[in-house]
Amino acid sequence: MIRTAKPGPQPTSVNISSPTRRRGKELLTVLPFIAPWLLGFLTLVVYPFVASLVWSFDRYDMLSPPEYVGTANYERLADELVTGQRFGQAVWNTAYFALLSVPLSIVLGVGLAVMLSWQVRGQAVYRTILFLPSVVPIVASSILWLWLLDPQAGLVNYLLSLVGLPTPGWFNSTAEAAWPPGWFSGQWGFGSKDALVLMSLWGVGNFMIIYLAAIGDIPLSLYEAAELDGAGPLRRFWHVTLPMLSPVIFFNLVMGLIHAIQAFTQVYIVSEGQGAPAGSTLMLSLYVFLSAFKYLQMGYASAIAWTMFLLVVAATWALFRTSRRWVYYQTGRGIGVRG
Amino acid sequence: MRRNSPPTWIAHALLLIAAAVFAVPLVWMLLTSFKPAEQIAADPHRVLPVEWRASNYVEAVTTMPYFRYLRNSLVLCAGSVLGTLWSCSLAAYAFARLRWPLRNQLFGVMIATMLLPWHVTMIPRFLLISELGMYNSLAALIVPTFLGDAFSIFLLRQFFLTIPEELSEAARLDGCSEWGIFWRIVLPLSRPALATVALFQFVAAWNDFNGPLLYLNDPSRFTLAYGLEQFTSAYSSQTNLLMAAAVLFTLPIVILFFFAQRTFIRGIATSGLKG
Repeated sequence: MIRTAKPGPQPTSVNISSPTRRRGKELLTVLPFIAPWLLGFLTLVVYPFVASLVWSFDRYDMLSPPEYVGTANYERLADELVTGQRFGQAVWNTAYFALLSVPLSIVLGVGLAVMLSWQVRGQAVYRTILFLPSVVPIVASSILWLWLLDPQAGLVNYLLSLVGLPTPGWFNSTAEAAWPPGWFSGQWGFGSKDALVLMSLWGVGNFMIIYLAAIGDIPLSLYEAAELDGAGPLRRFWHVTLPMLSPVIFFNLVMGLIHAIQAFTQVYIVSEGQGAPAGSTLMLSLYVFLSAFKYLQMGYASAIAWTMFLLVVAATWALFRTSRRWVYYQTGRGIGVRG
Repeated sequence: MRRNSPPTWIAHALLLIAAAVFAVPLVWMLLTSFKPAEQIAADPHRVLPVEWRASNYVEAVTTMPYFRYLRNSLVLCAGSVLGTLWSCSLAAYAFARLRWPLRNQLFGVMIATMLLPWHVTMIPRFLLISELGMYNSLAALIVPTFLGDAFSIFLLRQFFLTIPEELSEAARLDGCSEWGIFWRIVLPLSRPALATVALFQFVAAWNDFNGPLLYLNDPSRFTLAYGLEQFTSAYSSQTNLLMAAAVLFTLPIVILFFFAQRTFIRGIATSGLKG
């Protein structure tokens, strides 16, 4: 398998030049290799990173130069958060989507991977079918789900009505749209964000494949030992499979959360680019985009983007904090983000 | 060899249910794409088309400038695959097999930038790229791929690390330059990893919606991903045409997946499991 960080190559030839000259030569050798990336890193990552932080304290409409306004943008964010206006709504929508879709995708992904690891015939076919939706381009799957979840003509509601279940409004419904959420206002039922969650679960194949590969790496001897100790299938899953999968689950939890917080394409497509209906799909990512390119408020948009970034950092940090309690690492192995 | 499997019939029953649930949306997309518009209006839930209308596909590709979009998409895919392979294999080589000051620190910083939401850099990046005159051209999407991306560099570096250092040393003793080692030894041995990166980049460029949304303004420059969305808002009532267009957009990726299934799955498993 692929090894993690290892010390760089050691030159074997005897080098008699002075250390500084050798250093200069090393740099000369390496520079052509890293130059393209370094240029991109400085101009497309470092500079924009700093610039957007600076602009988040400015009023900037792209037509006239940025004008320093102190913390006004952040005050506006705080105000909208407290009063439940646009930003408050966007935080709520993003949190709702991320906190629902990520845990569910882990449960579903692990569940399907376990099923695919069973020793029965035809697994290659099942695996292909379950994985296929995750290669469908997100633009296509968004259009497809808009059709499947159409409240009247859609297939899903038709199937629900056949078995006598209530038929939600899905993408047309503003359930859970408002902050404070629906269960205070008495507005319940599956709405546009639940439809987005459903759509994301359909594409769980990527995660599933990672779990499946990890299950394949679990030594059979562990299952045999557990069986000898009298553990049934459920206990073997609980005490062998899950702990052995926990590093991968943790990795997917972190990556999934980061992706979910940034979800944009599907949100843009199902909401006609505005978070429709009634702002129920206005996510942070969409709010940044609209503020910047529709309302030309680059400063305010940068402040939202930076808040989003801090949210990602906080979420990652919190997950790493809890990971010691539930992530099981075999000795000498680790998966951190650093390779 | 038994790995905690339930009785065979239960296993098959559960797997069949799961497969059916996951397959139905795609089947429905295909069926809808062949239905006459009148049928969808009158009886949207009837499973099979009353008449299989392949002409829906002809109508879809003529209603929207499909072939122009397709050409733009292919240019974008080819350009960005080339750019990514070039810039990322170079950088990955430096990170994996050369020794230089601050190497590990820079690598750590690069990995950390993968956590950076793209919205944070979106606005200054947009202004910079527009400033350079690339607004409303595919160059705005292709040029950045020639400047490396963290994920591909990471994938390639992990692979390069597995190539025995002895090969490089022997070449060095024979007087081979670093370029020679990179070009003649490391790259040829890294074909599987390069294929994975190329495949991922192709798919990413094919699917990319945000880039065209930000940078392309003139319909003649649109890629399929963006053009399809535009088509959707214009023809939202003609579901059969929408589904036909969506099928045409999805099919190349599905075909690619079937041909390169192992590369796909290896790539995903490697990026998730770097134990």
